[in-house]
Amino acid sequence: MEEVRIGVYVCNCGTNIAKVVDCDAICASLSKMPNVAVARTYKYMCSTPGQEMIVEDIRKNNLNRVVVAACSPRMHERTFRKALQTAGINPYFFEMANIREQCSWVHENEETATAKAEALTRAAILRVAHHEPLENLYADMCPSTLVLGGGIAGLSAALELAESGHPVFLVEKTDRLGGNLARVDLTAPHLYSARDLLTDRIARVRANPYVQLMLESELKSLSGFVGNFTAIVGAAKKNGDPHKEHVLEVGSVVVCTGYKEFDAGRVTHFGYGKLPNVVTSFEFEKMLREGNIRTKEGRIPEYFAIVHCVGSRSRDFHGYCSRVCCMTALKYAHEIKSAIPNSYVSDLYIDMHAFGKGHEDFYRGSSEAKTLFLMYGKNEHPVIKRAQPGEESEMLIEVNEQLSGETIEIPADMVILMVGMEARSESGDVARLVNISQDKDGWYIESHPKLDPVATTTEGIFIAGTCAAPKDIPDTVAQARAAAARILGRIAKQKIEIDAVFAEVDEDLCSGCRVCNSLCPYSAVEFDEEKKRSRVNSALCKACGACVAACPSCAIKARHFTDRQIFAQIEGVLR
Amino acid sequence: MPIRVNPKLVNEIERYGAEDVSKCYHCGNCSAVCPHSTQPFVFPRAPMRLLQMGFESKLQNSLEPWLCYYCGQCSEQCPRDAEPGETMMSLRRWLISRYDFTGLSRLFYRSWKAELGALLIMAVLTGVGFLLWGFTHGDIRSYDGPNAFLASSAVHIFDWTMAVVLTLFLTANCVRMWWFTVAGRKDISVPLLSYLRGVYLIPLHFFTQKRYAECGHKTSWAVHMVLMASYVTMFVLIMFFLHAVQAGPEINWNVHIFGYLATAGLIGACIVMLRARVKKDHVWSERSHASDWMFLVLLLYVSVTGILQHILHRSGLGMAANITYVCHMMGVVPMLLIEVPFSKWAHMAYRPLAMFFADLTAEALLAKEKKPSGLSSPQLAEIG
Ligand SMILES: Cc1cc2nc3c(=O)[nH]c(=O)nc-3n(C[C@H](O)[C@H](O)[C@H](O)COP(=O)(O)OP(=O)(O)OC[C@H]3O[C@@H](n4cnc5c(N)ncnc54)[C@H](O)[C@@H]3O)c2cc1C
Ligand code: SF4
Ligand code: SF4
Ligand code: SF4
Ligand code: SF4
Repeated sequence: MEEVRIGVYVCNCGTNIAKVVDCDAICASLSKMPNVAVARTYKYMCSTPGQEMIVEDIRKNNLNRVVVAACSPRMHERTFRKALQTAGINPYFFEMANIREQCSWVHENEETATAKAEALTRAAILRVAHHEPLENLYADMCPSTLVLGGGIAGLSAALELAESGHPVFLVEKTDRLGGNLARVDLTAPHLYSARDLLTDRIARVRANPYVQLMLESELKSLSGFVGNFTAIVGAAKKNGDPHKEHVLEVGSVVVCTGYKEFDAGRVTHFGYGKLPNVVTSFEFEKMLREGNIRTKEGRIPEYFAIVHCVGSRSRDFHGYCSRVCCMTALKYAHEIKSAIPNSYVSDLYIDMHAFGKGHEDFYRGSSEAKTLFLMYGKNEHPVIKRAQPGEESEMLIEVNEQLSGETIEIPADMVILMVGMEARSESGDVARLVNISQDKDGWYIESHPKLDPVATTTEGIFIAGTCAAPKDIPDTVAQARAAAARILGRIAKQKIEIDAVFAEVDEDLCSGCRVCNSLCPYSAVEFDEEKKRSRVNSALCKACGACVAACPSCAIKARHFTDRQIFAQIEGVLR
Repeated sequence: MPIRVNPKLVNEIERYGAEDVSKCYHCGNCSAVCPHSTQPFVFPRAPMRLLQMGFESKLQNSLEPWLCYYCGQCSEQCPRDAEPGETMMSLRRWLISRYDFTGLSRLFYRSWKAELGALLIMAVLTGVGFLLWGFTHGDIRSYDGPNAFLASSAVHIFDWTMAVVLTLFLTANCVRMWWFTVAGRKDISVPLLSYLRGVYLIPLHFFTQKRYAECGHKTSWAVHMVLMASYVTMFVLIMFFLHAVQAGPEINWNVHIFGYLATAGLIGACIVMLRARVKKDHVWSERSHASDWMFLVLLLYVSVTGILQHILHRSGLGMAANITYVCHMMGVVPMLLIEVPFSKWAHMAYRPLAMFFADLTAEALLAKEKKPSGLSSPQLAEIG
């Protein structure tokens, strides 16, 4: 074996590290360790001169291992691995000691902090000696995509992919496309017709030869890994033809399964179901679409009341805000006033959420049109009851109005309940099939809520639209097209790069006990029935180490986290 | 008992000028910035709210609109351009029509045609009446003396008759105001002693307008003061010294100097105010209701014709002086009979009264709070 020659670099990070840790002292003491060929300190190791210093040392001094004691590896491990690659040695011959976040930032005593930083760096030096050269793996990227759900999200994602010339399987559970948007009349705040938004997209989807539309179908199973999934899609209804199953090879999946409306019947004080003219937003959308706003008795109402946050932002039902109902309520006020000019609209809200582009103007416009805005308390609620015969209106709403401090009574001939959005009841089944997680409300969880909002923790599975959380059309479409863009990027590369760090089962040692099989949170461990041995799918494995620790026969080895490496590291800390 | 919302009231108040009430979203900036808004009278947000919700009787019982002098700071600060200052102005108009038991006020405020029509009819009747009387009792060529066309002694009796009628109307309306804002309120009771102790506030506010001065707009206050002082001077001259004023043709400086000053004050103030309304150079002069125009134009007309007939008389032009005098009275009578009890001029009485009532209310609320019964703080304070 060639001689191990280690370069050690201790970073000052300006004064971030140097003000607590004596970097020069560490350097001087560690330079005496066996195998350490070079040891230096520098102001900013991650800067270009810092990186160039490493490259030059590797070349000049024949270094074959590098340790950088600096910030967190989450910050700059990639940067330094690149430097090793540039100098022509395997990037995995590198180890980082975190002496900033885990030392200088959290300690004040210079002496002990310096001792700790030295121990951490020593551990890295001992560990790096046992590093092995590793290579990333590559898999093929299948250019077809499976899109689940034919709402505006699914349609947008499918079009983006198909119009770039890539095959799409668009699976919709019902017998028609459009999802919930097909039930909406005009859309807030620009008052575009929902039908116009949809018909254009549906026509384009139907006409596109790259889209294979599968109505009344659903996903039955999904196996494989990013770039190489096998999906089985079958008839949606239970009584559907079980033989009509299709096996599809796809590289990515976009989940666009949307939401369902909150059931207003669950709230008793609104009298929904008992009072004939208490309707939900969706029932009212239907009246708007038919151009026929009438009470059950066929009269044209004079007094309208709109109640916000039905099922949302409440202690008893959902704590979250459904985001679109405030603007939808204003849209109703607008549509009512244009259909029945002599009517009066009261709008009962908790807060007015006018967060989006054009929303504040829409809110203002609604005030100018004399919508009467009334505020009720978050954990209180309006009570709707029938009025006495001979009253000016059919119903009366009693509520504790916050902006006047009075208990008031609002006349109403028709009450519209702004029902919120909730996760579909079968969203859990879909989550299990594609192996993604849900939050406490049932919405799918993104890989990172800010920086990676359409990806999930399972590579190759994307989420878009209202299946991830309530959102309006612009956000839904933006997400769908973002997911498509991510997929197109991968298709363009044609290959999927698989990280070199994953677990491997030594077939000779594995006893076939299957302890590891159910343990893996990413379903990466498969069981080879023929050989009676477990096997790790490297594309799925995230190197968490759960199986490694659990295997009673010590048959599983995590690459880059071998026993020898870990023990060396421990020894370094303890020495 | 819950209070019934009446969304129709907003439409009604629009006729009185307030067009932007619905835009208010209750941020409260206006109440924060208003120099007159203090506990327990916090405004203009709270009255805006009562108005939006159509709480008629609460509004009718409120004094807040009278505590506002339309400095316009609230409207300048409002992020929604809801014009709270203009709303308070409109509420004052509405309150005037509420206090008026005849319903004429309501008619005039809601329709400028009705107000103008009434002014014109009144003018024609006055003109015809004075001419008939003049021709039957005197000579149109002589202004004073035994053959005078309109003898000052007779005009004096006419003036006093009119004053009594006016006072009756105005008093009835003031009593209604008192009932709405103080006496009729169930949550407070004002002891007689308080009335006696505070009654000085009425003349104090009437003559000094001191709250107006607190607005920070000293010029507006000064103009207003000049107008008011001139008007009062003129009133005293006419009601008590008519004979001396009319006598001539020589100038009696002891009397006439007051008349000249008052006339100059009235004409000057009217011109300044009209100019501001035409130029719309302040928040408070940006929007004018028909009643504002009619009032100022009429006052200017009366002042100009008044001084004109005086000059003509002194110049020995008896007939011209008499004709001008009839024209003058054709302005004076409608102004006094329509504007004072039923329109803009009524605020002369209501404003100082409101200060007095506000003081009584505040005192009563405080006394109630101090009582050991531990009653909750006043509603008005809560909804500021
Ligand atoms: C009353 C109301 C009015 C609204 N008005 C507006 C507005 O004016 N402006 C605005 O911007 N937004 C509005 N919205 C929001 C708008 O409806 C949503 O933003 C949009 O519909 C979300 O689209 P989506 O594709 O994510 O979900 P969905 O429309 O729910 O579509 C999901 C689709 O997936 C299908 N599906 C579900 N599960 C499966 C499965 N397992 N397999 C296959 N297919 C499946 C469903 O059948 C459906 O077709 C409104 C919402 C409501 C409640
Ligand atoms: S968008 Fe408005 S109505 Fe809907 S839940 Fe949020 S706050 Fe309530
Ligand atoms: S290391 Fe973790 S992710 Fe990889 S196979 Fe084992 S349990 Fe699964
Ligand atoms: S009138 Fe204007 S400033 Fe006053 S509360 Fe309303 S929106 Fe705010
Ligand atoms: S106009 Fe001036 S006095 Fe009147 S409410 Fe507004 S800020 Fe107050």
